[in-house]
Amino acid sequence: MEDCVIRLEKVSKTFRDFWLRPTVAAVDSLDLEVRRGEVFGLLGPNGSGKSTTIKMILGLLSPSAGKVSLFGLPPHAKAARARLGYLPELSYLHPFLTARETLMYYAGLCSLSRAEARSRADQLLEMVKLTDVANRAVGGFSKGMARRVALASALVGKPELLVLDEPTSGLDPVSTKEVKTLVKALAKKGMTVLTTSHLLADSQDICDRVMILNRGKCAAEGKVSELGESLEEFFLAKVGSGDDFALADFLA
Amino acid sequence: MTSLLRIFWLEVTALVRSWTAAILLALSLGWMFAANFVLVTDATEDGAREMLVRYGLGGVFALLVVSVLSVATGSIASEREAKRLQLTQVRPVSPFAIAWGKFLALSAVAAAVLAFPCATLVCSSEFSGLRCSHVCRPKMESPAEEAVKMYDVFMADPETPPEAKKAKKSVVLRLLEQRAKDNYQTVGTNETAVWAFPGLHDWAAANADVDLSVRLKFSNDFDMRDDVRGTLAADGFFGVVSNITQTAIIVSLFRGECAAERDAVAFRNEGRAPVMLRPRQDVELLVPADSFVWNLLRSYVVMVSVLAFVAAFGIFLGAGLSRPVALFTAIVMLAVSEMSPSVVEQYPDQLETDRIDRIGLAMTRLVERGTKSVSSLSPLSSLAEGDCVERGDVAETFALDFLVLPLALCLLSGILIRRKQEQ
Repeated sequence: MEDCVIRLEKVSKTFRDFWLRPTVAAVDSLDLEVRRGEVFGLLGPNGSGKSTTIKMILGLLSPSAGKVSLFGLPPHAKAARARLGYLPELSYLHPFLTARETLMYYAGLCSLSRAEARSRADQLLEMVKLTDVANRAVGGFSKGMARRVALASALVGKPELLVLDEPTSGLDPVSTKEVKTLVKALAKKGMTVLTTSHLLADSQDICDRVMILNRGKCAAEGKVSELGESLEEFFLAKVGSGDDFALADFLA
Repeated sequence: MTSLLRIFWLEVTALVRSWTAAILLALSLGWMFAANFVLVTDATEDGAREMLVRYGLGGVFALLVVSVLSVATGSIASEREAKRLQLTQVRPVSPFAIAWGKFLALSAVAAAVLAFPCATLVCSSEFSGLRCSHVCRPKMESPAEEAVKMYDVFMADPETPPEAKKAKKSVVLRLLEQRAKDNYQTVGTNETAVWAFPGLHDWAAANADVDLSVRLKFSNDFDMRDDVRGTLAADGFFGVVSNITQTAIIVSLFRGECAAERDAVAFRNEGRAPVMLRPRQDVELLVPADSFVWNLLRSYVVMVSVLAFVAAFGIFLGAGLSRPVALFTAIVMLAVSEMSPSVVEQYPDQLETDRIDRIGLAMTRLVERGTKSVSSLSPLSSLAEGDCVERGDVAETFALDFLVLPLALCLLSGILIRRKQEQ
């Protein structure tokens, strides 16, 4: 069995304009490995290349250079995508579907049978505490409720890898704590989790290893336990010379 | 397959819960109901059918074409702009399945909405007894063959304009082909014109209890409002022509002994003025066929096929462009495709000296050829006139507009979906 779930080798991404002239080098020669069963955090201020990296891992963007593999396969391979769950930065739900229909829709896309999809949807609705509102259209949900539906839909296909893009974005402290507890529980069950955040505190609580990105490059990488309390100083030493506003946000 | 069904279900649910389908259905049925009062008919069954089919059902069809185009351009574009599309893309689903699922859903909803106004016509007792007719035209040399024969004479003629003599052979042939289509035959007073209809004799023998009719059309370009009188004689049939004002008349033929050639229809002009007709376009033998309801059903299949093509085209544009740009492009192309046949017909002469005019005409001709299947609303105009919607035409339209072209457009849409996310 492949021990390395995600592998990026010298990956770069340069966005180009209409005339194919390079405009932004979002990611530059990035190497990354996420091993089975670990919770890996991608950290960095806004514009550091976290979302671009995630999109390349999901197969939504192709790298300009280098190689991305997911479970040893190209990221757009169906076999790789069948083992993947994704929670985007915002929930992006279909507003006219109910919570149960949303989960059943995504379960269907993961080739679950109708009966399996129904039972999985019920199980996840209970897990995210939305059973009472399962038959209400998600268009009327609060941000926190919508976030929980989105998280459940990321888990509906029983993924081996969960990719969370800013999972606590816009949540109140109670909901944030619930999400963190859930991620820890999933990690305990052996699920591999890749999460991004621009808040150091979020990653310190749940991640085994983190990588700090700055201007598309790896500024630091290591175990949270090893970096420990010196993570903030470590970050300051590596990337603190630039944007004070982004830095303050990051250290919040 | 499961994911395709899920995308289909999601799209249908969206169309139903957003009230789009209900609003379209209400507008369609409302117009069909109002058409009974708004449209003025000549108080005959044929007249009522013509008005209700041409303007009642035609109006509903036009509404659906515009609506399907609008919804189709947004089905991928708006999902991409709301970033919901990426949630589907990260699942094990091919971009083609996304486009094909949406196409099938949109076509199914359009077909369901169109079924109701058609059903109102089927249920209408005044049309249940009506029959439609096969339209047969005289057997003549094709315009292209005639053009080839005319070419040498035309080029040798001293009155041929120098531009034509300098033009490419293909351009001159196209010009001559158009002239051949419009070729008038003059039937002088007390003269007889004969047109060949192979197989007429055998058909008449095999269908002894069925009578025929002939439709004659008179062009407005000539002063044909004068009294036209004469007789029509076919193989074992005869009829009397008497027309004062109409531009098209249907003459019923009755069985009886008459002096007519085998497998031919003869028109003897007994009026005071010569009669001018384009035999290829203006003389039609009408052979009774199946009922109005069956032909309406076939028209329905043709209309659904055209709507499906429009849906696939809208999805294709939405996959590559933002929604407003896709919608604008779609509407402009729809308008151009609707106008191009009349432009091509009115300006058949490619011997334009102005370069820009030549380029413009060439482009219009290209659009006209490319969009022939969509721009032609022939199933409704045929049905309105009581003509048969032929099975072969229905099968061809269905195969092309519902299967081949949408399949190709959805494959291209799949490529565009992947390309677009890179930007």
